[in-house]
Amino acid sequence: MSTAAPPPTEPAAAARKTGGFLPGVLGLPKTIWDSVFRHSLPDSDLGAAQTSFSNFFLHIHPVKVHKNTLRPMYTLGLGVMSFVTFVVLTVTGILLMFYYVPSTTQAYDRMLDLRGSVAFGTVLRNLHRWSAHAMVAIVALHMARVFLTGSYKRPREFNWIVGCVLFLLTLFASFTGYLLPWDQLAFWAITVGTAIAGYAPLIGAKIQFLLLGDQAVGQEALLRFYVLHVVVLPAIITLMVAIHFWRIRKDGGLSRSPEADAVSPAGNLKVQLVNEAGAGKPTFGLMGFVRGPFTKVGNVPDNAVYSWPNLLVAELFVFVITIAALLVVSLLFNAPLEEPVNALHPPNPAKAPWYFLGLQELVSYSAFWGGVGVPGIEVLLLMLVPYIDRKVSGVGKWFARERFLANTLFLTFAFLNVVFIIIGTFFRGPNWALVSPF
Amino acid sequence: MSTSPEKPSSRRSLLTWFSGAALAGSAAISAIANFVFMKPRATYGQPSRYLIGRPDDYPTGTRISVDARRICVVREGQKLAVISTICTHLGCTVGISDTGFACPCHGSRYDQDGNVTGGPAPKSLAWYRVQLAPNGELEVDTNAQVNQGTYYNL
Ligand code: HEM
Ligand code: FES
Repeated sequence: MSTAAPPPTEPAAAARKTGGFLPGVLGLPKTIWDSVFRHSLPDSDLGAAQTSFSNFFLHIHPVKVHKNTLRPMYTLGLGVMSFVTFVVLTVTGILLMFYYVPSTTQAYDRMLDLRGSVAFGTVLRNLHRWSAHAMVAIVALHMARVFLTGSYKRPREFNWIVGCVLFLLTLFASFTGYLLPWDQLAFWAITVGTAIAGYAPLIGAKIQFLLLGDQAVGQEALLRFYVLHVVVLPAIITLMVAIHFWRIRKDGGLSRSPEADAVSPAGNLKVQLVNEAGAGKPTFGLMGFVRGPFTKVGNVPDNAVYSWPNLLVAELFVFVITIAALLVVSLLFNAPLEEPVNALHPPNPAKAPWYFLGLQELVSYSAFWGGVGVPGIEVLLLMLVPYIDRKVSGVGKWFARERFLANTLFLTFAFLNVVFIIIGTFFRGPNWALVSPF
Repeated sequence: MSTSPEKPSSRRSLLTWFSGAALAGSAAISAIANFVFMKPRATYGQPSRYLIGRPDDYPTGTRISVDARRICVVREGQKLAVISTICTHLGCTVGISDTGFACPCHGSRYDQDGNVTGGPAPKSLAWYRVQLAPNGELEVDTNAQVNQGTYYNL
């Protein structure tokens, strides 16, 4: 035991290699750095692949992506944009939590404090509010792009469903957040919104009671909405986003039209062990074993490019643009805050947030059909779309001829929703009477 | 003991079945337990029975809205009734109008008795039981609905 030399530790080994104690100490920062980042910034294709492969955050990307994926006019960057707004919401939301109290007697005062006495409080609240609105709009647009390019078709049916769930979660997160300022807008929008839930057949009244924790909107409802808004929903959204992204890779990257692959050498679709860099190590060996329509490195040599730096730069671009836009809006416009809650006097008219105004408009004709029937059917239809429309033609192109019927139906639905939102927003005055905004 | 090849495998599949069912059952019970937990046993809101003052506070021929309770007290001669001012559409508080009640949220309108005369409200406003408590005050019970037109005779 005593004669055995102690096993050389890493720095010691490094020191010996570079010769001497002092260089070893001086080299320590680099030794540590290298232990964290196994690769320096890549200067070759092999390096680009290894960098993506060995970094936790980059590994979510494939080593190579199809060029079609990077066409800005194909995705419009909307998926990444949705993700960026979610990240902004998470960060600003956590910061707001340091000053917010979910209590009927304090919540509103805390809003005033954010405005008046918290450093960056106003802009933080603005960012959170405007990003929430933006996320709803962007996620809806992302859904439209996926639909209009036929990207929900085999093998992406399930990811479309995951997407639909994400859309609903996004709406629900906005809805629960809406109550938290505890102002008139919040109180009456939630009173009306939860009453709509009460119209659901059989379980409606139970759901409403479960949501509110009481017969009417009050302290219990505020606390419940708070917990849902800051813990439950973000956690579920995070999980679903992870599944969403994982599925994108397992479904073979983003959808593209068959022509986009046309240049790849014929008959090259069988699984191969490829080593493009030819450095003698099978760098991509394991990737070769994945089955089906997965991105297979080396299969489409002419149409695929390395994720590092191409995809990353594209994402960084969307990230910066989105954050810049949100910042500009938040510096220019203040998030509204109305009078504190007065449970006796609803404002007239009492309006829901804009994305629910279409529903509120419908609800003013019939509570059941506007609040439960129509949205229920819409959601069901949306979720079932990939299983109803199973032809695989027309994937990967905007407004493909072959998809004329499907696209027209979708756009009609979307258009009607927008029309109702516009009516509800601009053409409804006191007592929900028709008014002219001009 | 010589067993046929199927025997152990069928016993195994039975066991698999049982443990699978037990697992699924426990998961289901936990899920239900969560719902039971989320349903409050006691609520902190307003009590359903409360006093609203003496009959003299409501002169004959008046319709007085008691905002805090979301009710309207109607007095005609020696007859008195309490009508809910919670809109049956989506729960906003209706206001007293010339022709009865009007809701600010989606424009439902009701007549003096609470019958729907316009807008999306699906049913008429509720009437609550009211009676004199031993201390001479009026007591309303919002858990006890009465038929429209049921007045309390003072
Ligand atoms: C929180 C919300 C969401 C986030 C963060 C998100 C994120 C993304 C991202 C980053 C992509 C990559 C391609 C792109 O940028 O367009 C993508 C693709 C996709 N998304 Fe989403 N998404 C969300 C909601 C939705 C919704 C609501 C749907 C539809 C119901 C959907 C369905 C899809 C599908 C099917 C793909 C694959 C598209 C293709 O292969 O071309 N996602 N998503
Ligand atoms: S809540 Fe009264 S009309 Fe909708």
